[in-house]
Amino acid sequence: MPSAEDIKLRIEAAIPGARAEVEDYTGGGDHFSATVTAAAFEGLSRIQQHRMVYDVFGAEVGGAIHALALKTQAPSTINTH
Amino acid sequence: MSASQFEPIPMLSSEPAPAPAETQEAGGEGNPIRAAITEAIAEHKVILFMKGNPEAPACGFSARTVAMLQSLEVPFAAVDILPDPRIRQELSAISNWPTIPQLFVDGELVGGCDIVTEMYESGELAQALL
Repeated sequence: MPSAEDIKLRIEAAIPGARAEVEDYTGGGDHFSATVTAAAFEGLSRIQQHRMVYDVFGAEVGGAIHALALKTQAPSTINTH
Repeated sequence: MSASQFEPIPMLSSEPAPAPAETQEAGGEGNPIRAAITEAIAEHKVILFMKGNPEAPACGFSARTVAMLQSLEVPFAAVDILPDPRIRQELSAISNWPTIPQLFVDGELVGGCDIVTEMYESGELAQALL
């Protein structure tokens, strides 16, 4: 059963320059939401960005990880509020 | 809001699949489920693969995606992936996308609930569905 921290570390290890914030939003170790910012996302469509994150987990998404809600962004597109 | 707002497609009819005359696509010996999915995507401008159906979604992500489409009052086709696990397997193999729901517009994967939500909030979804 992965923790939010596990998910975060795996994303950051697999995607160059990624910073991830991950929340286990049910506390059950199988529903996570992640916000990922990565230079590697630059110039990619949202679909491609999300695929990069899903690819870190392969068949675990939909398996042991029931849900991985994603928000992805390239550093250059971050809104400053 | 009319009842014809969506058009559910039964993906698995009990009738046997017609002999594939010209399926050279993946599957080799012809894969009726994959062929049916590919055909459904090609034939519907807006099609949502989801858990449950629009009147009774079986998952919160599917429910939210349906609600966004309905609020834009766009007609869409819907396919319930739950009746047979092979539907999801084949769909994910085609789309290279692991999760459900999956929204396709004009034959292309737009995304799952997260992307659809972002696009809905930014107005891009309404644009894409025109």
